[in-house]
Amino acid sequence: MKQTGIATKIIFLSCGIALILMVVGCVLVVQYEMIMLNSITANKVDEKEQIYLYRLYHEKKALTDQLTSQINELIKIMNSVDVIYAQTFEFQIQSLLMHPMVVAAEFCDKNGQPFLTSWKRKTIQFAKSFPDDLQLKQHLVINRQTKIPSIAIIRLYYSIEIIEKQLQELKKKDIDELHETRDSVYKKLNALFLVQSIGSLFVVGLLGATLIFSLRWLILKPIHGLMQIAGQLKKLDLSVDITTTTASHELNSLAQALGQLLEGFRKIIADVKENANMLSDSADNMTDIAEQLTNHSEEAESKSNNVAEASVQISANIHSIANSVEQISDNMESVSSTSDYLFNNINSVANAIEELSSSLSHVGERAKNGTKIAEQAVFLAKKAGNTVNSLRYAADEIGGVSEFIQRIAHKTNILSLNATIEAASAGSAGRGFSVVASAIQEFAEQSSRAAKDITDRIASVQKGTYEIENAFKDVSNIIREMNESSESISFAVIEQTKAVQEIASNALEADERARNINVSIEDLSRTVNDAADNTAQVAMGANDVSSRIQGVSESISFNRQISHQINETAIVLNHLSGNLKCMVDPFKVSHQSKLNNNNKE
Amino acid sequence: MRNINNITSEKKKVPESKRQFCSFQMAGHYFGVDILDVKEIIDEVVLTKIHHAPIEMLGFVNIRGHVHLVLDLRLLLNFSTKPIDESSRVLLFHPNVGESFGVMVDQIGHMIEVEESLIEYRVSEENISGIARDFRKSDLEKGVCKLKNKLLIILDASKFLNAVDLKR
Repeated sequence: MKQTGIATKIIFLSCGIALILMVVGCVLVVQYEMIMLNSITANKVDEKEQIYLYRLYHEKKALTDQLTSQINELIKIMNSVDVIYAQTFEFQIQSLLMHPMVVAAEFCDKNGQPFLTSWKRKTIQFAKSFPDDLQLKQHLVINRQTKIPSIAIIRLYYSIEIIEKQLQELKKKDIDELHETRDSVYKKLNALFLVQSIGSLFVVGLLGATLIFSLRWLILKPIHGLMQIAGQLKKLDLSVDITTTTASHELNSLAQALGQLLEGFRKIIADVKENANMLSDSADNMTDIAEQLTNHSEEAESKSNNVAEASVQISANIHSIANSVEQISDNMESVSSTSDYLFNNINSVANAIEELSSSLSHVGERAKNGTKIAEQAVFLAKKAGNTVNSLRYAADEIGGVSEFIQRIAHKTNILSLNATIEAASAGSAGRGFSVVASAIQEFAEQSSRAAKDITDRIASVQKGTYEIENAFKDVSNIIREMNESSESISFAVIEQTKAVQEIASNALEADERARNINVSIEDLSRTVNDAADNTAQVAMGANDVSSRIQGVSESISFNRQISHQINETAIVLNHLSGNLKCMVDPFKVSHQSKLNNNNKE
Repeated sequence: MRNINNITSEKKKVPESKRQFCSFQMAGHYFGVDILDVKEIIDEVVLTKIHHAPIEMLGFVNIRGHVHLVLDLRLLLNFSTKPIDESSRVLLFHPNVGESFGVMVDQIGHMIEVEESLIEYRVSEENISGIARDFRKSDLEKGVCKLKNKLLIILDASKFLNAVDLKR
């Protein structure tokens, strides 16, 4: 998964671009709105300024009107009055100065010279003319000519500072309000920007998800199927069937094309495989034939070799025969000398046998003597058996006596009991007697025990005597057997003596025969010499045969080498066909052919 | 002082405090009868059988001219009967026990002398009715004597003849 897939790349790219576009658009819109807002605000400010100027003008006009009307009223009042006093002028000027906007007032006579002036400096002051330090020129002036005799011109100085101030404050307030509204709009715009960016992120996410889903279902899945098939193809398994069930038409046509390609490959590989199999089989056959040929030639060679060896051996054997015949002739001479020696030995044997026969007769006499002794021993053993018998009788008698003793002991016991009873019945007078009676009882018990002991011992004695008797019987039997065997020995010795005598006569005959042998051996030695000469000639002929057979063997070995080369070539061919099969084998053409291959294997 | 001591010790040895029993064996059990009841022990017995008599009566025996009745004590004590052999003996009782009779025992033992204190007499049960008593021969047992390594059952010789009568 380290390599990012096409789908992932596409998704990331498109999503990134969409995100960037949206963000940029958003920023541009916001910027534009900002600029718009700024220009609107500036317009509004200008408007406010103009409104201010307009108002100022109106106010000024209204003020002058007001002041003019006041002056008019003053004039009217003055006209209506008959007598005008100096105080009246002062009072009138003072009433003029009562207006807050009026700064100073001046009454001038017919010559245009002021005769009464009044001004506001902290308090209202009066004089004939204005002091020099009072600067009135910059202030606004209303000049009014009157028809009043004393006053030709009334000059009124007034200021509009207060109104200006008020209006300026109003303007400032408006402008501030405008700025505030602009700031709040800014804030709203920022929030809007945030919302817009979040919305764009959400949209991008939705777009990504849709892309992932569609790519998965429409492109990746069929591509995955194709990849699986490709994987199988990579393993050289051509037995895959490509089913065109994919969603998109392009992939369908691709899969169909792949399927057709596979079909073609399958056919070709199947043909190649079949041919390779056939080739392999024929190569095998050829190898077999070559091997058979080699084997045959090897066999022939070995056989010819064997024949050569055999012929060599034959010649060698014939040589050895010749040698042996020569040796035989030599040996014959030694045989004749040995037969002489034998003749002498047989003589001495005859003498020895005669001596043996005399000693055997001596042995026979001894054996007869042994028989006599054995008879005597049997007699003695019988005697001893009788003695043991009488001993047994005596033991039986002793047993009877001990029984008798026991009976007496019983009687004594009864007697003592009765005595005790009597003593008891006698009361205290019989006490002494009862002691005696118990002593007697004790005695009786002891004697009874002794008698039982004797009986036991006698029983063991009887058992011993019985065993002795049996042993004596065995001994006498053995002696009898000895007697019989010594008799048979004496018989055997007699027969041996006879046999030895026969041997002696035969030895004499042997003596004569040995002499005859001596003569015939000399004849034989002569004949053997002739035979030696003949065998030497045979040996020469055998040598010739052997050399010819060796030539035959060499030609066969040449044949064998050639057949061996053929065999090697066949093996190489077989190897090559095997290689070809190996190359083709991994291609699985179809399930059936696969099975067939398995079966063949 | 010494004399007085001697007298007291002699008093302790008074025969009344001791009793003698003639012991015998029957079917592996030890029994005993008072020696004063026994007259004699006989070993060679020639029995004359009495016909039509109860099976407990083995027969008559002639002892020096006097005829005595012999009872089978095994049957009286409810053991199975046993043929007479070498060790079988006849105990003859005194005439004051009953008129000249004896019992056959399996094997005779010693004469035993014991302290009176070692004997435990059985308490006679008066509550048992007469018929039940008839079938019980336990009246023959007078008590038990404690010996060193076994118990000796003391029999009452005077009840033997009555036991035969009751059986009839």
